[in-house]
Amino acid sequence: MNCLSRSAATRRYLIRFAIAMSAYILLITADAWCFRIYHPKGALAYGLAVLPALAIIGQIVIVGLYLAEEKDEFQRNLFIQVLLWGLGGVLAFTSVWGMLESFTHIRHFEPTWTFTVFWLFVGVSTPFLQRKYR
Amino acid sequence: MKNKLRALRAERSWSQQELAERLEVSRQSVNAIETGKYDPSLPLAFRLARLFAMPIENIFSDEV
Repeated sequence: MNCLSRSAATRRYLIRFAIAMSAYILLITADAWCFRIYHPKGALAYGLAVLPALAIIGQIVIVGLYLAEEKDEFQRNLFIQVLLWGLGGVLAFTSVWGMLESFTHIRHFEPTWTFTVFWLFVGVSTPFLQRKYR
Repeated sequence: MKNKLRALRAERSWSQQELAERLEVSRQSVNAIETGKYDPSLPLAFRLARLFAMPIENIFSDEV
């Protein structure tokens, strides 16, 4: 997150986020491999399927930790603004896509992409907010 | 909310970065307050008042 200044809380956030993101990539890759090769069934399949989502939940917790730990109120405010842009963006995107799915033959939007779309909107809004407060 | 932060900083020949370090905030925060794009919380306003050794109302006014 370039909108964040390099405070101690920011450094901790970036390290934690990199770990959670690495865990997500590792788990989703391992899951795909495991399901392709071993075709797990029953409770094991459910448990394995949920694992990458735990890494995503971890990322949400990490965002919350940053907001709790950042002492610079302006930076906290700025981060909340980009998160709101991300939330607004993903809600608007999924609403429009959902309507298109209901009434046209557009391809189904996989809910697992929701979090990625959220971060895309956060990424797009960040430079605009940076410019506003430069 | 209007403020005299830039003038007070200039009187002391402090850069935005120096003021930010004294307040333990980012330079971006100081700039946002100076330009009126961000109104500080009461605790931060008190820190500013203590730093400049004057009442809050001498730094900030509620004029729009």
